[in-house]
Amino acid sequence: MTEKVVEVSDLTRRFGARTALASVSLSMSRGAVYGLVGANGAGKTTLIKHLLGLLRAESGSVRVFGRDPVADPVAVLSRIGYLSEENDLPGWMRVDELIRYSRAFYPAWDDAYANDLLQEFALDPTARIQNLSKGQKARAGLISALAYRPELLVLDEPSSGLDPIVRRDILGAVIRTIADEGRTVLFSSHLLEEVEQVADHVTMIHQGRIALSAPLDEIKESYRRLSVRFAESRPQPPAVAGVLRWDGGGREWTAVHRGGSGELQAALAGWGARIEAECVPSLDEIFVAHVGVAAASAPDS
Amino acid sequence: MRSPAAAIAWEFRRRHRWGLIAVAAYMLVLGTIRLLVLEPGRGIDFEDAPSFALAVVVPLTATFMYFLAVFSFGLGGDVAARQSMYPVRMFSLPVTTAGLAGWPMIYGAAAIALLWFATRFLALWPSGVDVPMVWPAVLAASLLAWTQALTWTSYPLRGMRVIVTVLWLVVIDAVVMVALESKASEPVMLAILAPHVPLAYLVARLSIARARRGDVPDWRQAFARLRRATDVLRRRRDPFSSSAHAQAWLEWRRFGRSLPALVGILLPFELALLFVFRDTPAIVFETLLGVLITPPFMGAFVAPTVGKSGQPGRDSSGVTPFIATRPLTSASLVAARLKAAAWSTLAAWVPVLVAVPIALRWSGALPIVVDWKRQLIEAVGTPRAAAIALLGIAALVAATWKQLVQSLYISMSGRDWIIKSSALLALSFLTFAVPLAHSIGGSKAAMAALWTALPSIAAVLVGLKTAAAAWVAARLHDGRLLGDRTLLVGAVCWNVVTFALYGLLMWIVPRLLVPAYVLALVAILGVPLVRLSAAPLAFAWNRNR
Repeated sequence: MTEKVVEVSDLTRRFGARTALASVSLSMSRGAVYGLVGANGAGKTTLIKHLLGLLRAESGSVRVFGRDPVADPVAVLSRIGYLSEENDLPGWMRVDELIRYSRAFYPAWDDAYANDLLQEFALDPTARIQNLSKGQKARAGLISALAYRPELLVLDEPSSGLDPIVRRDILGAVIRTIADEGRTVLFSSHLLEEVEQVADHVTMIHQGRIALSAPLDEIKESYRRLSVRFAESRPQPPAVAGVLRWDGGGREWTAVHRGGSGELQAALAGWGARIEAECVPSLDEIFVAHVGVAAASAPDS
Repeated sequence: MRSPAAAIAWEFRRRHRWGLIAVAAYMLVLGTIRLLVLEPGRGIDFEDAPSFALAVVVPLTATFMYFLAVFSFGLGGDVAARQSMYPVRMFSLPVTTAGLAGWPMIYGAAAIALLWFATRFLALWPSGVDVPMVWPAVLAASLLAWTQALTWTSYPLRGMRVIVTVLWLVVIDAVVMVALESKASEPVMLAILAPHVPLAYLVARLSIARARRGDVPDWRQAFARLRRATDVLRRRRDPFSSSAHAQAWLEWRRFGRSLPALVGILLPFELALLFVFRDTPAIVFETLLGVLITPPFMGAFVAPTVGKSGQPGRDSSGVTPFIATRPLTSASLVAARLKAAAWSTLAAWVPVLVAVPIALRWSGALPIVVDWKRQLIEAVGTPRAAAIALLGIAALVAATWKQLVQSLYISMSGRDWIIKSSALLALSFLTFAVPLAHSIGGSKAAMAALWTALPSIAAVLVGLKTAAAAWVAARLHDGRLLGDRTLLVGAVCWNVVTFALYGLLMWIVPRLLVPAYVLALVAILGVPLVRLSAAPLAFAWNRNR
């Protein structure tokens, strides 16, 4: 049986009248990359904060490496590498001071690896963090999160607002971590094309609820984007089982469908329609089909 | 919102509403006491200056400092940074530079003038004091205007803002002091002070215009060689021996140098008085007393920084994820802060303990102190005199550390409403307690009753402290914040210190003067326990929300 790194069951969290997480259950196995996707304010960071013990479960339970991260922070946090979207590294520290400070907490700190990353990211060790650009700060944070080769790497919106080169560095870090056998990565983002590049398993979260959670390959196999041509122009598309979303107008419509295309073909025949083309949708399209809004354009809450 | 002026005013009002409400409440209390408790227009004979200071001067000064910070946007940025502290987000507003500079200065001047006039007419002033009408308001407005102008200016070097601002404000104060010494009339004072406000406005406008186009002077290259030398020294540092040591280092770097720096700045000026008044024992005594209470007094100003867990320049008091995700227990994170506070205390006291004997010797005031020592030894004997001196120094050092850490249980909770409510409660307590203390002090019967009741009051306080300590210990145990062994060791240490203090007091204080059980109560109340123990609870509440 594969050891569970993370087990969340029936987790609910409210902030005042707003429900941030509603009966969320999730489990993560060792040695895989998990993509946590959702619009801004969907509950991704709230879920991650529960895993780190920064939020206490109001109801339900959270276990990381089999332990409660609130009750046993040392045992849990010493095995996690965390890069926050808030970029809250102390601005007065120099990069070399950050490394010296961080290494004290992790017996497995690898000096050679830290130096490699420092050179690869072209960071000046004597530079103050407050004087670094946003991308350089993300790189500095990445060094302090990676250099002890954590068993679980948690990246909360690491690419938010960063240029493509820094995003490439972050994805490279994820790939490097995967290369270390037995490491697990939780990668939260609303940039779904990035998640698609590295994730083995995708969890979509929407308004505090899990909308979809499955291996990426399974998702890709289950969903189809179909171009449908109706015999006559239609103001509204028909309600067809398995179709999550319709786009288009007149006689030309596009459907995102879950399930076999044969069943859909049969159903559409009754409406005088035929499937013109069929392809695997992107993760972005599947997400939009599930939640009804574009991941990156949803309002903050 | 109909205009930029209204929008800027709204932001000040909305963002600082609780502070402004607290100031208004204080003024209301002052006015109520004046109108209802005392006859209208009557002054009050403050027999001791501290009462007046606590009732009026301290809240007035605190509010003035608060207004300086609010209207200069000093709460929202890094004071030592080279860049202007004017909020960058406002540079892109469709508002003229004159408007950006002018409206905050007008609102600040109005608020600070209102503060003075309210205090002038509502506060209880000592009888016989001729309180000036207008010029203090203009002085306050000038100091605020210059603080705004110099805060919004960009500087070529880091830290230069603090030096320039402090020096310039001291110069203005010195001019005012000279004018007062010369018994300048109100019109003369106004003539000296009034030009400062438009001058400061011009500087502010120019500074904002430069900051708005991103113009920041830079002299850093000139110091590059020195920086390279310090970098070499820095690279030679060894790794930390433990995570607790690393965390204590972080806390030391975050706040540890503030108290020694503040004490170091004040100390030369205070000790200079010994050279001027070396032949006047009363002033030598007051100077030494002032020097010795400087570290605990300044500790009160540093304490908010010690308690802060959020990022500098941010309003939120919540702990940052960077700190919250350290693989340390909440108790260890608090312990690191307590340890750094202890280092800070020692670093502040070492120069005091070294400089005072040197200053006494060089100034020629040493014979006065030697004479006091002789008198004390004659009165109580050499061992007791030495014990009193050592206990006094130890108490002052402990008081300094206590000042830094005693409110951690509030500030580390990370809840703004708790922090602001406690400040309001403290201010309200002072406002009521000082007139009450003054009233009791003025009545022999009340003093006698209080003296008789003191043991009972102390016993009640000891009961409350013990109950609170038991509750905190149970919570620490139940929340698994401290292990059984640590709790036991802590309890034993507290008892040892309390018994040691009790023994010392029994030896020093004559039995006829104070009964032994009262000394026991004093020892129990004197050794910190509950508030310190509650700090890990507060931090865990903040860390695991």
